[in-house]
Amino acid sequence: MNTFNGNAKFMLYPRRRKKNVQVSLKLTSMIDMFTILLVFLLKSFSAEGQIVTVSQDLRLPESTAQKSPEPASTIAITEEWVLLDGEQVAPVNEVMSLNKLMIPGLADGLNNLKTVSETVGQMSGEMGFTGQISIQGDKEIPYQLLKKVMFTCGQIGYNDILLTVTKIE
Amino acid sequence: MNLKNAMNRTRSQDDVDVNIIPVMNIFLLLIPFLLLTAAFVKIAVLEISLPSLGRGAAAQEEIKQKNLILVILSIKEKGFQVKSPGFKFDPLNKIGTQYNYNELKNQLKQIKTRHGHAEDIIISPESKVKYDIIIKTMDQCRDAGFPNVSLAG
Repeated sequence: MNTFNGNAKFMLYPRRRKKNVQVSLKLTSMIDMFTILLVFLLKSFSAEGQIVTVSQDLRLPESTAQKSPEPASTIAITEEWVLLDGEQVAPVNEVMSLNKLMIPGLADGLNNLKTVSETVGQMSGEMGFTGQISIQGDKEIPYQLLKKVMFTCGQIGYNDILLTVTKIE
Repeated sequence: MNLKNAMNRTRSQDDVDVNIIPVMNIFLLLIPFLLLTAAFVKIAVLEISLPSLGRGAAAQEEIKQKNLILVILSIKEKGFQVKSPGFKFDPLNKIGTQYNYNELKNQLKQIKTRHGHAEDIIISPESKVKYDIIIKTMDQCRDAGFPNVSLAG
């Protein structure tokens, strides 16, 4: 079949004259697009880079705050877990059913962090224990949970709390 | 025939094309690089300081010196309630499911007009209030001129 078709075509258009065509890509529109993209990307380019990385299942609340994040240890509160620097320290169910404000798992983790940073601080004067900690909370968590986390931080000695939010213009 | 073509070309085509290939090369390199480094979600932080043992005493002295205006804003599941000595505000109930942020701002501005130096506000949410709402309320406080927000509960 195929060969027949091919032959038929060949019969219909016999011996096409080979033209000496100069092929040139039409790049104008592509360059236009690239220029626009480039301008947009340069506008959103920041030399600082991202200090904070936010995990996927965390929806941060929006705020008009302008202060940019500082490097600090991070407590993330999702709807299921409380995480300290990416490690699960306490499940939310358990925390919510606690009668007291102190969260034992989190307190242990924070205490370790504090000892580490204090030891480092003794060795070099610049990097000591600053008492700074950032909290990335999910939009939907109740205040009770936040209060417990903040109380635990305060008890250990982390008094400068940075609440991480997404910026809206 | 080739000769004819060539002769034609030299005669009619006086305009010269710009060589855009180097530009394209730059673009092709720059765009992936910028796309990789682009931050599409901008992140900011809200700072809250808890009173520590050392600083607490100092802060209390400061309160005495500045003769601070106490403003307490409670967030309940029904709505807001602003309390401050010398003022009497009606509770601001939710409109439908939305908190009444505009009226809250008005009330805070009333305090601000009478006490220009007031900068501190204590927010006291109920335990079931969502984090999102607390942050939004803090934004409103900041807009109304109370940058020093503390949380109580």
